[in-house]
Amino acid sequence: MTADQPRAFIRPYRFVAVGIVVALLIGVLTVRLWDLQVVQGPHYRSLAEDNRLLRLPVAADRGIIVDRSGKILVRNIPGFAVSVVPVDLPKAREAEVALGLAQLIGRDPSEVLKAITEQRARNPYEPAKISTKPISRDIALLLAERAELYPGVRIDAESVREYVEGPLYSPIIGYTGPITQDELSAKQDLGYLPTDQIGRTGLEWEYEQYLRGQYGWREIERDASQREVKTLAQTPSQPGGNVVLTIDDRLQHLLANELNAGVTSDAFTQAVAIAMNPQTGEILAMVSTPAYDNNMFVRGITQTELDALNKDDRHPLVNKAVGEIYPPGSTFKMVTALSALTAGTATRNTVVNVSSSSITVSGTSFFDWRVHGPLNLVDGYAHSSDIYFYTLAGGSPMSSSVQGVGPDNIAKYGRMLGFGAPTGIDLPGEAAGIMPDPAWKQATFDEPWSIGNTYQEAIGQGYVAVTPLQLLNAYASVANGGTLYVPHLLKEVDDAQGNAIMTKQPEVLRKLAMSPDDLRTLREGARKVVTSNHAPMPNAKLWIAGKTGTAEFGLSSGKDSAGRNKLGFHNWFVSFLPQHDNTDPTAQIAMVVFTFDSSRGLCETCLNPAIAISQRVYEAYVLGDPATKARLTPP
Amino acid sequence: MSARSISLPRAASPLHDRPTFRRLDLVDPYLLIATLLLMAYGLVTTYSTSYEDVAAGDPVQFILRGAIFTFLGIVTMVAVAYFDYAWFGTFAPLLYLATLGLLVLVLVIGHNVLGGQRWITIAGQKFQVSEFAKVLMIVVLAKYFADRHDKIGSPLVLAGALVLLGPAFALVYRQPDLGTSLVFVVIFFGMAYLAGARPWQLASLVAIGLGAFPLIWGLLQGYQKSRLTAFLNPYADPQGAGWNIIQSLIAIGSGQATGKGLTAGTQSPLGYLPIAESDFVFAGLAEDLGFLGAVILFALYVVLLVATLRIGFRSRDPFGTFIAAGVFSMLAFQLVVNVGMAMSLMPVTGIPLPFISHGGSSLLSVCMALGILQSVSMRRDASRLRS
Repeated sequence: MTADQPRAFIRPYRFVAVGIVVALLIGVLTVRLWDLQVVQGPHYRSLAEDNRLLRLPVAADRGIIVDRSGKILVRNIPGFAVSVVPVDLPKAREAEVALGLAQLIGRDPSEVLKAITEQRARNPYEPAKISTKPISRDIALLLAERAELYPGVRIDAESVREYVEGPLYSPIIGYTGPITQDELSAKQDLGYLPTDQIGRTGLEWEYEQYLRGQYGWREIERDASQREVKTLAQTPSQPGGNVVLTIDDRLQHLLANELNAGVTSDAFTQAVAIAMNPQTGEILAMVSTPAYDNNMFVRGITQTELDALNKDDRHPLVNKAVGEIYPPGSTFKMVTALSALTAGTATRNTVVNVSSSSITVSGTSFFDWRVHGPLNLVDGYAHSSDIYFYTLAGGSPMSSSVQGVGPDNIAKYGRMLGFGAPTGIDLPGEAAGIMPDPAWKQATFDEPWSIGNTYQEAIGQGYVAVTPLQLLNAYASVANGGTLYVPHLLKEVDDAQGNAIMTKQPEVLRKLAMSPDDLRTLREGARKVVTSNHAPMPNAKLWIAGKTGTAEFGLSSGKDSAGRNKLGFHNWFVSFLPQHDNTDPTAQIAMVVFTFDSSRGLCETCLNPAIAISQRVYEAYVLGDPATKARLTPP
Repeated sequence: MSARSISLPRAASPLHDRPTFRRLDLVDPYLLIATLLLMAYGLVTTYSTSYEDVAAGDPVQFILRGAIFTFLGIVTMVAVAYFDYAWFGTFAPLLYLATLGLLVLVLVIGHNVLGGQRWITIAGQKFQVSEFAKVLMIVVLAKYFADRHDKIGSPLVLAGALVLLGPAFALVYRQPDLGTSLVFVVIFFGMAYLAGARPWQLASLVAIGLGAFPLIWGLLQGYQKSRLTAFLNPYADPQGAGWNIIQSLIAIGSGQATGKGLTAGTQSPLGYLPIAESDFVFAGLAEDLGFLGAVILFALYVVLLVATLRIGFRSRDPFGTFIAAGVFSMLAFQLVVNVGMAMSLMPVTGIPLPFISHGGSSLLSVCMALGILQSVSMRRDASRLRS
């Protein structure tokens, strides 16, 4: 090759051609780049932010619950929860991961898989909580360390509810549980998340708004394997308010010990006791037995356990103080008496001569428990004469001078005293009870009211049915001189520093349209129930006034779920303690004790166990603590 | 075609009338400047995208490695440019055998990374043999075409070139490294075209290739197929085959006009961008430096490519011209495919972006190629000055 030789191996057009082709290709790349970065840039910028930024809720500690003196009844203890973020879990590995998780946390694999797939359909970016109960630290560490085996699985520290006294307070405190889809859609504006626990029943439900607190938020940067790189911004969570109850834990224990001892000794099979301050409506104690251990719901109740609770005919899941209704028996004679006094058909001096142990009206005999002789209203009440109150309610052939007050009036004043309607206590599941009248019977049974109905109602049998709380509240209104309060368990709500952010004020349901003298007559009668030895209180150290009641209903054969004999006799003692031994409306404490189903012989039910329980509890509570004594019975 | 034409070297008789150091005025300044700027740009990109790399640990390690290889690259380039490129022609058969030997070796003792057996370790460093094989293949093909440039229109010449290419292509494809084997094909077509092969012959080869496409497709592994088709609709499987492409698009788009700033990108350091140091390095660059930064990269490449073509155009002999044609084809193809796949315009084939992708083998092999080009440039007057 020489310098002169034409450079035939150079093909200029081809050089130009490849240059143009490559230039065109680079041009296409540039146009595409322009489209991506300049035209669609903002869109992709936000996608990049979505990639790396995650707004994580910072859980707020649920408020604790304490009694009136600050004793802790519910607190939080640390635990771990397992969640799955479906978008980070490849679908192909879903079943395998679900199986692994299920084995570790002790759940059915198909349930775990269902929870994941449902969350994937709902919102795959949000975590679905998989653990239904707190998991152990070991399992939490295992899951956290083997993240590659469990893609999309998150371990979060969570605080777990601990119900310190379990069954003692479960009827009033209730428990929390996972929020349902319906609740979530209804409460989304309040900031609930799908993984939230929410108060399911009891005070946990009632005061959810105070207890739950407010989520804080933490914005984190995460890498592609979902590991947190750093926190970019955060707002702290606000812990829930601490709920201070009006409950006095000492009194609660005194009552519960008595009731549990009674059940243990077969004196009765179920029982309710409530104590309140008649001057305010504050509930000082509320025991319903048998109850359940609400900690079972925290650690994850099994279906077997739940079935057992649901099938138990003693209804352990029901707070029987407010959720069940019973005939009030003779305790209802107060209503009959107040109706007659207020309607003007009787005075405290209205005398009925109970010269026989039965009266016969329209061919039917109605019995008293003994021949009392002549009784005025106070004595009739004190000795609990059935014929006296038949006469007061419906008249009687034996005492033609006494005009019966009639069922409509009894219903009217019964309702005034709070029967037939919920008291409005700050608890869910309160029953209304039944305050019957002729119209009610016609509407319910399509039958006319009979004189027998009037008689039965007069002594708290028949259709009338009350909750123990209604009965106590009615007596409390008599004890305080005529004010019916809304009973309440909440004293105040404190913030984390202990400052009250809400204080419950006494709430008057109504003033009784009854004369103070008539109410005093009833207080006198109630005191005489004890002093006349109708409700015997040997060596009484306090001036307790009250009324006994024995109601017959239900079966007297067969056995209940605990294997005890059923006997349809149930005893009441509803009482109050004035500050001094007089009939002034000064009582600072009122109490109802209800014992259900003696499982012993019938004669033993003649001794109403509720009376002795009440006496012992009053004396232990009032005399066992100088400050309580000074407050309830000042010198 | 005689056996001689393949096996025997042309007489090694580059006649120098002046020593290399007196030829420095013939160094192509545009090629040199573009090369150095691209090297610097590569270091900047490495610094910017591996900063705070949580997955990989120490970012300094990457930058240090990059700097060392850049230095070695410059040394390589200078050393190669120092010698008359005709020597490569002289030893072309040996180079060819060495290429095949290395490719066989890597299949036998290579390291398996990400499903491909592509690396061998020399002195503690991992080398990707196919990168060097590309450059060596360019030299071999250039020599082959140069020796037959006067009968380039013959289908036999083209067939002979294919015979040369075949084993290397097959060995790289066998690794498997689909991307690099495609680079071999493009180098072949680019060189054949610029060397003057008949367009209808080349078109026939393309037609045969397309006809055989279903056959080739059937031979592909499942993961290769899904990778190749994912770009058509990455959102069909956003968590799987489409993930890389989507994350790449997000990285590029989110860079917007001027970028997030050096080290300010998130897609690459946080690990969203897969293979961010090689296949998808462009996305990290575009995220941090934006449209502006990407266009600067394109501009530098345009200078590099034009300078490469110009060296080929001014070469004293067909060997130099065809070397330039091969290097041009390789660089242009790798740029277009790497950037195109990052922007979801092309299938993901795993081809590095020269200078910008991390990796010593890629940089050293490109430096070797550019050194040869400078050697071609520096000796473009050899025939004129020969007495």
